[in-house]
Amino acid sequence: MSPVSTEDEIMAEIVIGVSDLKVSSNTDDVLVTYALGSCIGVAVYDPVVRVGGLLHFMLPDSAIDSKKARENPAMFADTGIPLLFKTCYGLGAEKKRMIVKVAGGASILDDTNYFRIGQKNIMALRKIFWKNNVLINGEDTGRSCNRTVRLHISTGRVLLKAPGEEAREL
Amino acid sequence: MKTMDKILRSIKQMPAFPVTAQKVAAVMGNPDYSIAQVVNIIKYDPSITANLLRICNSAYFGVRHIGSLHDAVVFLGQENVLRAIQVSGISRFFKKARGYGLDGAELWKHAVGVALMTQIISRKISGRDDSKLFTSGLLHDIGKIILGEFVDDSLRKIWNLVSNHGYSFIRAEEEVIGMNHADVGGRIAAQWNFPQEIKDTITFHHRPDLMGAGDNKFCWMVYLADQVCLMMGIGGGDDGLAYWGLKEVIDLLKIRQKDLEASIIELMKDMENAKELIALV
Repeated sequence: MSPVSTEDEIMAEIVIGVSDLKVSSNTDDVLVTYALGSCIGVAVYDPVVRVGGLLHFMLPDSAIDSKKARENPAMFADTGIPLLFKTCYGLGAEKKRMIVKVAGGASILDDTNYFRIGQKNIMALRKIFWKNNVLINGEDTGRSCNRTVRLHISTGRVLLKAPGEEAREL
Repeated sequence: MKTMDKILRSIKQMPAFPVTAQKVAAVMGNPDYSIAQVVNIIKYDPSITANLLRICNSAYFGVRHIGSLHDAVVFLGQENVLRAIQVSGISRFFKKARGYGLDGAELWKHAVGVALMTQIISRKISGRDDSKLFTSGLLHDIGKIILGEFVDDSLRKIWNLVSNHGYSFIRAEEEVIGMNHADVGGRIAAQWNFPQEIKDTITFHHRPDLMGAGDNKFCWMVYLADQVCLMMGIGGGDDGLAYWGLKEVIDLLKIRQKDLEASIIELMKDMENAKELIALV
């Protein structure tokens, strides 16, 4: 864990909304996504070429609405995650060098099966990574809090903020 | 002054609810109402008139190119006029609000999200939109406007109870501050003379199971709409998802998990179509 320095606050932020992803190779950029509830933020980074991307997906499985998945792949884990990686490859990133960090997948308290979207999102993400031999290098998932995630393209640092807690590096 | 007294005083000092909205609802409740009657009430409220004209062209209401108040009332139709007026009237209370780590715009976005979601649920269950349910959705967290500053001051204490002692956020509010945001909201609704059903829905929106006997479906729909918006982080604040999941909702509303996920996709589309409503604050 390391505290957030003030320089982190003054850099230009690029906001990733729900069901959206962005990648960058500009070292001035900080990619940020707010209010990850049951949704999951996936941050990937290749330290050699300094290319990174951030995805904020909403639901686990695109089978529920394949038309929507074509229009907006970043809405679902199974269409968003491959697109995130591929878009980074387009900027010169390589899979074997990718550092992967994930946050979100929160749940309503005393979860019944009904409100399990957070857990379902976590499971879907693990399955995709496992199938593709991708290791998760940092993770803060589950619990019942909203999270904000920032990815610094210059360093690959991923900072996580949850209410009532200090920001920390993932 | 004690915290409780401060909260009660803040509730008393809340500005009155715009009479225009109440009057329009009363007139439209009569099946013989005329367009002129409705226009004559709205036109004396410049703020509601301006907001109404601004939002009635939003894709959410499905009509376009409305330039006058008269046309708005004609083309929107009864349910949409009522919903648009409630949006116009209620939005003003969020303008200067802040709390739960959010500004007024984010609190309002959550209110609109829940209101839109209640309509999706209502259409699934009864095949129609319901303006009263919509109003309850807009108002369900109105108590946060008052309680926000107290929650911000005690956030670490509250989260300690949630994280380490198994409290829900609302119970932790009660323990630390002495009152929760649903109770505060119910008191505001009472002060504004809202019908009992809306008042109770606000008071019990996190615990519809505690409402007691009777047909509480209305409250369960708002509860479910709220849970969905909490999960999706729509106007997601410091309280996060720290509220109880009540599985009775499945039997009561007969909505399967798959339907729920499909509804979430529909909600995102409605939020996009309703961006003019969200932009009011």
